[in-house]
Amino acid sequence: MSRWRTSWTLMAGAALVAASCGSSEASPSASALASAAATSSSTVASAPATASGSAAPSASPSAVVPSPTDQPLRIGWLSEPDTMNPLTAATTEAVEVTQLIYDKLMDYGLDLKPEPELASSFTQSADGKSMTFQLRDGVKWHDGQPFTSADVAYTYNLIHDNDLGQYAQFLLNLTGVKTPDALTVELDFSAPQAFNPALVVPIVPKHIWSAMSLKQIEQFRNDKPVGTGPYTLSTKWTSGTPLTITRNAAWWGQLPAPATITWVRYDNSDVMGQGLRSGELDIIPQVPPTVFDGMTGADGVKTVALPSFSFHHIGFNVSTKATSKGNPLLKNVTIRQAIQDAVDRNQLVQLCLAGHGTPGDTIIPAGMADWHLSIPADQQFNANPDKAKQMLNAAGFTDPNNTGVRSSADGKQLAFRLIAINTTDVDVCAAKLVVNAAAAIGVKLELTTLDENTLNDTVYNTDTPNWDMFVWGWDSGALDPSYMLGVPLCSQIGGNNDVFYCNKQYDDQYAQQAVTIDPVARKAITDQMQREYYNDAAYLVMWYQDKLQAYRTDTWANWAQIPGGMVFNFTRDNYLHIVPAR
Amino acid sequence: MSRRRVRYLGSKIAQVVITLLAVATFNFLLFHVLPGDPVRLQARAGHLQPEDIARLRELYGLDQPLYAQYFVYLRDLLTGNLGTSFSFREPVAELLAQRLLNTVQLLALATVLVILIGIVAGVIAASRRGSRLDASTVVTSLFFWSLPTFWTGLVLIFIFGVYLHWLPISGASTPGAHFKSFWDGAIDSLRHMILPTITLVLVDIGQFVLITRSSLVDVMTEDFILTAKAKGLSRRRVLWGHGVRNALLPVVTASALYVALVIGGAIQVETVFSWPGMGELIYDAVLKRDYPVIEATFLLFAVTVILANFLSDLLYLWIDPRVRNA
Repeated sequence: MSRWRTSWTLMAGAALVAASCGSSEASPSASALASAAATSSSTVASAPATASGSAAPSASPSAVVPSPTDQPLRIGWLSEPDTMNPLTAATTEAVEVTQLIYDKLMDYGLDLKPEPELASSFTQSADGKSMTFQLRDGVKWHDGQPFTSADVAYTYNLIHDNDLGQYAQFLLNLTGVKTPDALTVELDFSAPQAFNPALVVPIVPKHIWSAMSLKQIEQFRNDKPVGTGPYTLSTKWTSGTPLTITRNAAWWGQLPAPATITWVRYDNSDVMGQGLRSGELDIIPQVPPTVFDGMTGADGVKTVALPSFSFHHIGFNVSTKATSKGNPLLKNVTIRQAIQDAVDRNQLVQLCLAGHGTPGDTIIPAGMADWHLSIPADQQFNANPDKAKQMLNAAGFTDPNNTGVRSSADGKQLAFRLIAINTTDVDVCAAKLVVNAAAAIGVKLELTTLDENTLNDTVYNTDTPNWDMFVWGWDSGALDPSYMLGVPLCSQIGGNNDVFYCNKQYDDQYAQQAVTIDPVARKAITDQMQREYYNDAAYLVMWYQDKLQAYRTDTWANWAQIPGGMVFNFTRDNYLHIVPAR
Repeated sequence: MSRRRVRYLGSKIAQVVITLLAVATFNFLLFHVLPGDPVRLQARAGHLQPEDIARLRELYGLDQPLYAQYFVYLRDLLTGNLGTSFSFREPVAELLAQRLLNTVQLLALATVLVILIGIVAGVIAASRRGSRLDASTVVTSLFFWSLPTFWTGLVLIFIFGVYLHWLPISGASTPGAHFKSFWDGAIDSLRHMILPTITLVLVDIGQFVLITRSSLVDVMTEDFILTAKAKGLSRRRVLWGHGVRNALLPVVTASALYVALVIGGAIQVETVFSWPGMGELIYDAVLKRDYPVIEATFLLFAVTVILANFLSDLLYLWIDPRVRNA
C-alpha cells in the first residue's frame, strides 16, 4: 500500500507538460489568489506579517497557541525518503521531512488555503503575468547567514534554467526573476499564472548551493541541510535508522511544541499499528483498512478516517497507435461502458476497503468537494449487469454457442488481460471481483499480478503498449482540478496519460478552463470535462479511498482533522500547532 | 603440508574464483534484463523532458551499451568500487557496511545459540535414543521448526510488546533517545535484540537438533563404536570422542549453509521487527531497481555462501581423515 501511494504521488507529480497556457490553475480554495489575478494589482494573502510572524490559520481546531516543550513527536512510516535534497527528492517521505527544514514563500494552512511563509505579502499584476513578494525581515538560515531575495532568485532560476526536479513543472513559463532590493522578489511569466508556484517551491541557500555544479546538485544528498525552517537535521541520517529533526530555536515563527520529530521505519503495517498501541509511536499516517477497525476503540488510540485526494481505477488501453498490442475491441466505447456497468463499485468499497471509502465516478476525487462532479445514479455506468447485457446484445456482441464468452460478429472473443500490482492488496481484491462481474455479462478477464515497477513499465510503454486493462491509482498532486484533468490530455501521451486517451474537444476545454479565472464559470467547464471523460469510459474509477490515520490521545492533542490527512498532506501546519495532551 | 593437501586446497580455491566470476556475471545480466527501469522511477518525480532523462541515464552510466556497462562493472569490482546507489545517492559500500553490521549484530548471537544448543540437544536425545526425553525432544523440535517465522514474531510482539509492555517491538534502538552512557545505549540495543533473537532460535533450532540426532543415531550403530565400547572406553568418551566427532560431518555442512543464509538476512525476522539489515535493503533495492545495490548485495551473498562452503571443506580436512588422505 505504501509503495503504491509513494510512487503514485510521484507519478502525479509528472504533471501537465502540455498545457503551456498556465500549467496549473488556482484552486477554488485559493479564491483569494484567483480573484487577485482578475482584479488589478491587489494585495492578497497578506495575513498580518508582524514581527512575531505567526501566521495563525483560521481553521485551527482550537485556539490553543503552542509553546516549546521537551516532548518528542514520533511518527511511523513504511518507506523512507530517498534524499534530503528538497529539489531532487522523488518521494513523499522526503517532501514531508524537508518541508519542515526548508520554508517556501507561501504555504497551505490548516484550512488548505494559502498563507504567508517567507513572504509577508504577495501581489499579482492585473494581467496575471507578474508576482511580487515582500520577504520577512530578519530571517536567518540555520547557519546564521541572513536570508535575502538573492536566495529566492537563485532557487527559482536554478530550477527553471535546468529543468531540475519536480517543481520545474510549475515554472515552465517563468521568464525572469527580479530582486529590486534584499526583501523584494518579482517573478515574471510569459502567461497568466493563476497557480502560485510560491506554494510549492522550497527556498535553498545561495551561499551553499551556488558552489556546486548542476551535476553535483543532482547527486547532492544534502546530509546536513541548511534551511530557514522550524526544524533542523543536525546529524546525518542513514537509511534504515529513524530520522530525527530538532526544533530550530532561532526560527522566525511561533516555535512549535515538539522538541524533536522522529520518523520510524516499519517494514510491516501490522507491526506499525502495534507500535502505536504499545506507545512506541504518537501517530501513524497510514492504517490498512483491515487493521483500522480492529484498532478503533483500542486504549489511548484514536482512529480517524478522512476524505482523501486519491482514487483507484481500472484503465482501458484505448491507444490508436498501429503498433499498440492492446486488444482493439477495447476501442469500442460500448464494451467499455458495459464492463463498467457490470461492476458494483459499492461492493468493491465494502469488500476491499472494509467500507472505508466512497464509490467512485469521475476523476476528480470527492474529497475535492468544490470541484468534484457527482454523476446522478441513473446516468452512471455502475452495478447494472442487465443493462450491460442489453448494450452488448444491441451492439452485436453475442454468445450464440453458449460458451460463456461473447464474441463480435467476426468471431473475436471479448476476452481481455487485466494486470494489477501484487503487493497492493486492495487492488488485487478489486481485480478478482471485477473478473467475476465481467464473467457474469459474458466478458472474460484474465488476471495477472506484477510488481509495481514492472506494471509501470508495461503500462507506460507508449509505442507498443502490450496490455488491455490495469488496476492502479492516482494521488492528486496539487489542490487543483487541472492536475487530474490534465492526465487524459492528448499531449500527455508519453507523459502521464496511462490509457492513451485522446480527444481534441476535451483538450480545448482544458485550455479554456486554464484561463477562466471565475470559479463558477471554470467549474462549468470542468464539470463538462468530467462528464465527458466519464462517458467515454476509458477509466473505471472504482473508489475514493479514505485516508486512514490514527494517533495516541495521551501524548499530543490539537490535531486538525482535515481532508487529505493530519500529516502527509499539503500543509505542514499540524506539526506546528499540536500541543501536549497533558 | 603435504603435496596432496596443497592440491586439494588449490583446486578448492580455483573453484571459488571461477564460481565468483560466474556469479558476478549472472548477477549483472539477471537484473539488467528484468523489466523495469530505475531512471523511469525517478523521471516520474516531475516534469522531465527527454533530454533531462538522457542526462539522468548518463549520470548513472545507463546510456552505455550493456557489454560496456558489464566491463565497467567488472573493472569497478576489481578495484573494490561497488558504485553509487541510484535511489539513496550514497556509495553502495557505505550502505552495505551499515546494514551488514546490523544483520551480523542481530544474527551472530542467534546463530551461535542455534548451532550450539541444537547440537547439544541433538546429542543428548540421540544418546538416550527411544527414551521419553528423546521422543519429546523430537516432537518439540518438529513443532518449533514448523512454526512460521512471521507468525511467531507477531505473537511474541503481541505478548511481550503490546500486552506486557516488557520489550520494544521494532528497530535496532529507541528512536530519538539520548543515552547518558555507552552502557545505557548498549542495554537499549540488547533489549531490541531479544525478541528477534528468540524468534530465530525458536524457529531454527529444530533442524540442528534433528540433524545431529539422526546422524548420531546412525553413527552409534557402527562397528567402530562397538569396538570402542569393547576397548573399555568410558561412555562419555565413546559418545563424544568417537560418536559425535563422526556424526558432525552433516552438521558442519548444515552450519555452513545456515551461516550463509544468515548474511542474506533473516528477511522475515527483519521485516517483522523492522530491523534495518540486509533483508530490508535488498527488498527496497529490488523494488526500486537500484542496480548497484542489488548487484553488490547478491554478490555479497554469493561470496558468503562460497566462503562458508570453502570453510566447511577446510573443516572436513580437519575432522575427516578420509578427506585428508584422499
